[in-house]
Amino acid sequence: MKGEARALIRLLAVQGAWSYERMIGVGMGYAAEPLLRDLDAVEPARLPEATARSAEFFNCHPYLAGLALGACARAEYEGAPGSLIVRLRTALCSPLGALGDQFFWAGLVPIVMSMALAAIALGSGGAVLAVLVVAYNVVRVLVTRWALRTGLQSGMQVGTAISASWLPKAVVRVAVPAGFATGLAVPLVCAWLVAPSGARALGAGLVACAGALALLRWGGARWTSLRVGLAAAVAILLLTRVVP
Amino acid sequence: MTELPITALASLLGWGVLVGLDLVSVPQGLLSRPLVAATLAGWIAGDMAAGMRAGAVLELFALDVLPVGASRYPEYGPAAVGAAVLSAGLPQAGGVGIAALLGLLVALPAGWTLEWLRHANARDVHRRTAAISAGSTRAILDLQWAGLARDAMRSLVVTAGALALAMALRDRLGPAVAFPALLTPVLVGTGAAAAISGAVRTAGGGRRLAWVGIGLACGMVTAVALAVVT
Repeated sequence: MKGEARALIRLLAVQGAWSYERMIGVGMGYAAEPLLRDLDAVEPARLPEATARSAEFFNCHPYLAGLALGACARAEYEGAPGSLIVRLRTALCSPLGALGDQFFWAGLVPIVMSMALAAIALGSGGAVLAVLVVAYNVVRVLVTRWALRTGLQSGMQVGTAISASWLPKAVVRVAVPAGFATGLAVPLVCAWLVAPSGARALGAGLVACAGALALLRWGGARWTSLRVGLAAAVAILLLTRVVP
Repeated sequence: MTELPITALASLLGWGVLVGLDLVSVPQGLLSRPLVAATLAGWIAGDMAAGMRAGAVLELFALDVLPVGASRYPEYGPAAVGAAVLSAGLPQAGGVGIAALLGLLVALPAGWTLEWLRHANARDVHRRTAAISAGSTRAILDLQWAGLARDAMRSLVVTAGALALAMALRDRLGPAVAFPALLTPVLVGTGAAAAISGAVRTAGGGRRLAWVGIGLACGMVTAVALAVVT
C-alpha cells in the first residue's frame, strides 16, 4: 500500500473540517485518500464505497486517528465487508478518544506547560519554552506515525494491537506527574508575578485564589474559570473606583 | 506609547492566524497555548518578557480547559497575542493585570467563533452529502480545504480584533496612568485557582490527588526559599 507519508502529513490536519455533522470524519476521508488510491488498480468497484466510508462520522483523539485510519485502509484492501469496517470504526471512537484525551490533553500537555511555567518563573528565558514545544511536537509526530503504522500493520486486529502497546500503560503513568507538575508550577508563577508587589498584593492574590476555588467547586457549571476571572476583575475595578 | 511598525503588525496577524489554526485544525502542536502565543507575540512587539508574563497568567486559566470532543471552551491563543501586545512596554505591576483582562475578554467571544466554524462546516457537509456518499474524492478535498480556509479567516478576524483592542488601549495608557494595584494579584490568584481546579478534577482522587498536593507544597517551599535567599 502506497501513500503512507502523504497520509501521515494529512493526519496532522485531521480536524481541519471539524463539524457537528461528522466531527473528524471529513478529515479522515482526506487523510485516507492517498492510502485508498491504489484500490483503483486492485478492486476498482470498491474504491467509491471505500472513499465514502472513510469520510463518514468519526471522532477520536486527533493524534491517535491514524490507528483507525490505517486499520480501515488495510481492511479495505483485504476485502473485508463494508459493514464490518463501519463497525470497526464505530468501536474505535470511544477508546481512542479516551486514551488520547487522558494521555495528551490531561497528561502530557499539562506536564509540558507546567514545566515551562515553572522554568520561566525561576528565571529561564524563552529558550526553555522553545525546547519544550519542539520536544512535544517531535513526540506528537512520532505518535501519529506509530498510530498509522500500527493501524496499517494490524488491520481488523487493531484492538489487540492497542491493548498490547505502550499506550494503556502510559495513560496510567502520566496522571501523577501531570498533577505534581501543575501543583509545583502554580505557587512559583504566583510568587514570580505577585511577590514583587509586596505583602498586600500577595494577600489579595491568596484571597482571590480561595474565593475562586470555592466558586469553581460549589458555584455550579455556569461559573467557569474564565467567568470567575472576569467577575473578579470587574469587582476589583469597581472597588478601586469606590475606594481608590 | 510607541507605535508598532507595520511589519510587526503584519507578523502579529500572521502569528495569530497560525495560533488560531493550531487550536483545532492544524497542527495542534502547542502553538495555541497562551504562554507560547504570547511569548512570541511579545518578542515581535519588542518586549518578550512582558509577553511571557501576560501569557503565564492566561496559561493558568487555560490549564483548566480540557478540549475534549464537541465541548465548548474559550480560545486563549489569539487573545494572548493581543494581551502580549498590550503588555509590551507597560510596567509589570499593573501591565500584567490589564493585559490578562484583555486576554480574558477576547477569549470568551473567540470561543463562540469556534462554534460558528463548526456549524459552517456542518452546513458545507450537508450541501455535499450526495457527492460524498457517491465516493467523490473531490468533494472531500474541497470540504477539507474550505474548512481550513474558514478557520484561517476566523483566526485572522479574532486576532485583528484582539490587536485592535490592544492598540486602542496602548494609545490611552501610558506611564502617567495609575493602574488598579490589585488587578494583577487578583487575576493571578484566580488563574491559580483555575489551574488547581483543573488538576484536581483531572486527578479525581486517591494517590493522583495527593500528588497535586505534594506538587503544591513543593512549589510553595521553593517559592519561599527563593524569596528568603534573594
